[in-house]
Amino acid sequence: MSGSHGGGTRTIKVDYLARVEGEGAMYIKIRDDVLEDVKLKIFEPPRFFEGLLRGRGFNEAPDITARICGICPVAYQMSAIHAMENACGVRVDGALRELRRLFYCGEWISSHTLHVYMLHAPDFLGYPNAVEMAKDHPEAVERGLALKKTGNDVVSLMGGREIHPVNARVGGFYRVPARSELWELREKLLHARELALETVKWTATLDFPEFDQDYTFVALRHDDEYPMNEGRVVSNTGLDIDVSDYDGHFEEQHVDYTNALHCVMKPEGNCYHVGPMARYALNFDRLPDEIRDAAKAAGLGPVCTNPFQSITVRAVEVLYAATEALRIIDDYNPPQRSAIDVKPKAGTGFAATEAPRGLLYHRYTIDDDGIITDANIVPPTSQNQKMIEDDLRRFVPTCLDKADDEIQYVSEQAIRNYDPCISCATHFLKLEVDRG
Amino acid sequence: MTQAPILILGIGNRYRGDDAFGCIVAGDLAGQVPRGVTCIAHDGEPAGLMECWRGIENVILIDAVSSGAGAGQIFRFDLARQALPEEFSLYSTHAFGVPQAVELARALGKLPRDIRFIGVEGENFAAGEELSPALSKAKDAVIAEILSSLKSQERIHA
Repeated sequence: MSGSHGGGTRTIKVDYLARVEGEGAMYIKIRDDVLEDVKLKIFEPPRFFEGLLRGRGFNEAPDITARICGICPVAYQMSAIHAMENACGVRVDGALRELRRLFYCGEWISSHTLHVYMLHAPDFLGYPNAVEMAKDHPEAVERGLALKKTGNDVVSLMGGREIHPVNARVGGFYRVPARSELWELREKLLHARELALETVKWTATLDFPEFDQDYTFVALRHDDEYPMNEGRVVSNTGLDIDVSDYDGHFEEQHVDYTNALHCVMKPEGNCYHVGPMARYALNFDRLPDEIRDAAKAAGLGPVCTNPFQSITVRAVEVLYAATEALRIIDDYNPPQRSAIDVKPKAGTGFAATEAPRGLLYHRYTIDDDGIITDANIVPPTSQNQKMIEDDLRRFVPTCLDKADDEIQYVSEQAIRNYDPCISCATHFLKLEVDRG
Repeated sequence: MTQAPILILGIGNRYRGDDAFGCIVAGDLAGQVPRGVTCIAHDGEPAGLMECWRGIENVILIDAVSSGAGAGQIFRFDLARQALPEEFSLYSTHAFGVPQAVELARALGKLPRDIRFIGVEGENFAAGEELSPALSKAKDAVIAEILSSLKSQERIHA
């Protein structure tokens, strides 16, 4: 970081943001104690995944796109698979659909727990990182590690391995678990559910800055379940569309200072908020009573508008994921076949699923041989990028009297509220504060 | 006297060139080590690493590093006494990798009593399954070093 404090112009630069995934920087310009400019610069090189997909087979997309992110590969696999099935006019139901949901539960538990305990909690307890926090709060860190491990175990069983899983395919899975394998997982999940409830209570004891915002939330909404793999794309401002209409309502824009596209709502080009807070606000009524009660006891209403409190919303989603995983296991009857046959058919397929960080949209066009001729992937961090800058524009003016290093610290916190995955968005962060 | 269990953890990604170094060494050692020594290839995920070494007091970590040194250079650290240097901390998801797992375990009092790190400077971390020539050479040296060390420990415990 570099910067200066005094009259005139102050520039705060963070050249490499900590505790986020990928490589990015932050630039803040303050002139005469007025915030003049904020830029979230993502300099991680573009990775051209969409170009790489063209010419490949439709059934290769799940394994190729899983490589976009080491934290949320399940989300990429699920969006790719559902989009391909949509293109081929196939719908997967029953036990296979339930197993996909179990797979996603594992990723939510693992990804959210990593963020809650290792990346976000140190901000509220005044530690530079989880290692320093662990010296004073060992029981909390151990709880987080145990929870994350259970999430990893779910992903490992369903995906064949923890990172970049390989077992999911268009039409189902290469192998489905035996009931006995799920019973082993059930014991771990019973303990994880207790740890998740403790996590919800623990996050409620943290002090949050007051920063309630009037967000446009966008998330999936399903008729009768908290959304993971399917639903309509809805907002709290009246949007209610089929996923196939996504491109008609959202637009990716190139911005010269960042390698990640900014996604905005048409036609005004407004920013919007995806992720746990959006899902929760738009689907509170889809949570089981005991999860809603736990959220209320932790101080959350049906809508949370303070991004710093997103740590509690994530904890609630971990509790939900553990509970839902147990439901799926208890109801499980192994399918007769691990996958249904999917024959390629020329056309365009659309899908959006709920990655831990929010809505993940995939669109593919394939030909009669199943060769991909066009691909478009819009990850959650691209959608939240403009929203993060917008938060900084409102939050930094509340702390302009502070020294540059303090402004840097709280600004990085404001960014971490979103658990941004910059690798996904380019497919991370340096701060620059300019005070003149 | 029975020798206490020893765990050899080779860390890396088999499909990213020299990053596969640890996995390859662990695989090659698996057929050569004495009874009581377990060799595991691991992706380096911190919670998983800590789970692997739970209850084991003698651990050897092998990993490719990228510190700016010459390709194939071998680094040795006694992690029970010292942390891994900063320049070995990069290249992990959410900046949370092997060094953080070691320090977290130390803070939680869960670091094995004897834990050593053997790092080899990598040259090529692009997609692929081949080690660079300098790394192939270093592989033989690291395997010989570990086998020799295991033999010495066997003699001590015999």
